[in-house]
Amino acid sequence: MFIDKSMTKKVVTVGPNDGILETRELLAKNTFRHLPVVDEENRLIGIVTDRDIRSAMPSVFLDENETLKERERLAQMKIKDIMTKNPVTVTPANTLEDAILLMQKMRVGAFPVVDREGKLRGMLSIRDLVRAFVNVLGLEEPGTLLCIKVQERVGEMKKIVDAITEEHISFGSILVSRYWEEGKRAVFPYLLTTNVAHVKRKLVEMGYELIDPMEWTLDTLPRPE
Amino acid sequence: MRKTGFLYDDRLLLHCTGSNHPESPERLEAVYRGVEEAGLFPRLTLIKASPAKLKWIEAVHSPKHIMRFEEACLLEMGEFDHPDNQMCRESYETALLAIGGLLEAVRMVMEGIIDNAFCAVRPPGHHAEMNRALGFCYFNNVAIAARYLLNEWGVERVGIVDIDAHHGNGTQHIFEDDPSVFYYSAHEHPSFAFPGTGREFEKGVGAGSGFTLNCPLLPGQGDEEYMAILERDLAPAFAEFKPQVILVSAGFDAHVDDDMSDLKLSTEGFSRIMRKLVKLADAYSEGRIISVLEGGYSVQLLPELIRNHVSILLGL
Repeated sequence: MFIDKSMTKKVVTVGPNDGILETRELLAKNTFRHLPVVDEENRLIGIVTDRDIRSAMPSVFLDENETLKERERLAQMKIKDIMTKNPVTVTPANTLEDAILLMQKMRVGAFPVVDREGKLRGMLSIRDLVRAFVNVLGLEEPGTLLCIKVQERVGEMKKIVDAITEEHISFGSILVSRYWEEGKRAVFPYLLTTNVAHVKRKLVEMGYELIDPMEWTLDTLPRPE
Repeated sequence: MRKTGFLYDDRLLLHCTGSNHPESPERLEAVYRGVEEAGLFPRLTLIKASPAKLKWIEAVHSPKHIMRFEEACLLEMGEFDHPDNQMCRESYETALLAIGGLLEAVRMVMEGIIDNAFCAVRPPGHHAEMNRALGFCYFNNVAIAARYLLNEWGVERVGIVDIDAHHGNGTQHIFEDDPSVFYYSAHEHPSFAFPGTGREFEKGVGAGSGFTLNCPLLPGQGDEEYMAILERDLAPAFAEFKPQVILVSAGFDAHVDDDMSDLKLSTEGFSRIMRKLVKLADAYSEGRIISVLEGGYSVQLLPELIRNHVSILLGL
């Protein structure tokens, strides 16, 4: 789960002395919103986002003369004038969990990935994280989700996993929701099979409480008149 | 009364899935029993199975997949691509026979010899992808029938309605970028059921954009919701698409007493759905509708469900 496996390696970059209007065109032609700013040796010196560029544009409320003056000023401005210096970065040895927690904390959508010499190695965006977690959750493999309420006790997970494995069923993923109820967690094994009726019966016989998906959906069903 | 074709061949019992597997030969015996006990055999045009020409299998599946399946059967490997896919030495031949019978039914409908047909095939097909077997399915029977209609009969618009409780991932993916086949599926929501595909926002790709329509249903939903979505979604879609032939992937596992799904259709609910589909075929496809068995695992329920299904096709 290291960042270097999920990051985008071919990154479009700009230099500190590039013009703002050219950069705006570059962003308009592509789907990304963050451009790392690097020097001639590919060392990261800042980041410019499409928001930074839009903020630098003349206001629509100016009159014609003022707009012209603004445009002349813009034509002279360089990226280094509007970029964020010292952006938040991660390294290729950071993990995806580091990235996701950092993204939640810093509220940014993408991080430049730099090595120990400060050279740019890639970009990790929220899109890359989504793709990595879709993979980890096994969402693209065919399977069936089970939902089991479990006491917060060491060894419960193993009993469930063993019971399922005895039926020769393999796991796509197992998720745990920590605060389902007082003293209980909800475990969601994603099983790579279509045939779960007998597994469910077995778990119930073992004393587990299965969360009936119909309970969840009960309040979305139309009430009888 | 209409002339309804019925695929009837004991050799389809030969695909065996071992003991304790839901997709069992007993299902087919239950289907035949239902038709027999209702005295429907004399009214049906019986169609015998015959081995399908490989070129029609190849119209959907990669040659590698076909060869691997044949090999796995000959070597009696017992399972193919996934432990769920249990098979035996006869499975490959049986699959070809089932498809051959289905294509014969299609031919007879197109030539006007019969008005419509029901083909109780084994193994089922709608989970089978171009190069992968899945969910008890090895070859995608309905997809092959659709390609046969397009390539051999020059049909330009085929409508597929999949009412099995599980999304027909194979059928959808095979025609995802093809505007000449409209794939419609009502199934248990992918977050709660196999195979985890068939979300509302999957609407086709490229040239096929707008020719795939998925209606996921929540666990616990049944008759009311099914009729509501057919009215709200399928009817207008077909009014615009105007299919020249309708193929039905008829799975019966959405029944309240079938434990392969959490959906709660009643026996009468199934009949209402089928009557609606026959009406759509009358409106747009000159009545040409061919229904193909997919899932449905309750040997107790199948006789009555099939009896009703076939009676509706007959127009009784």
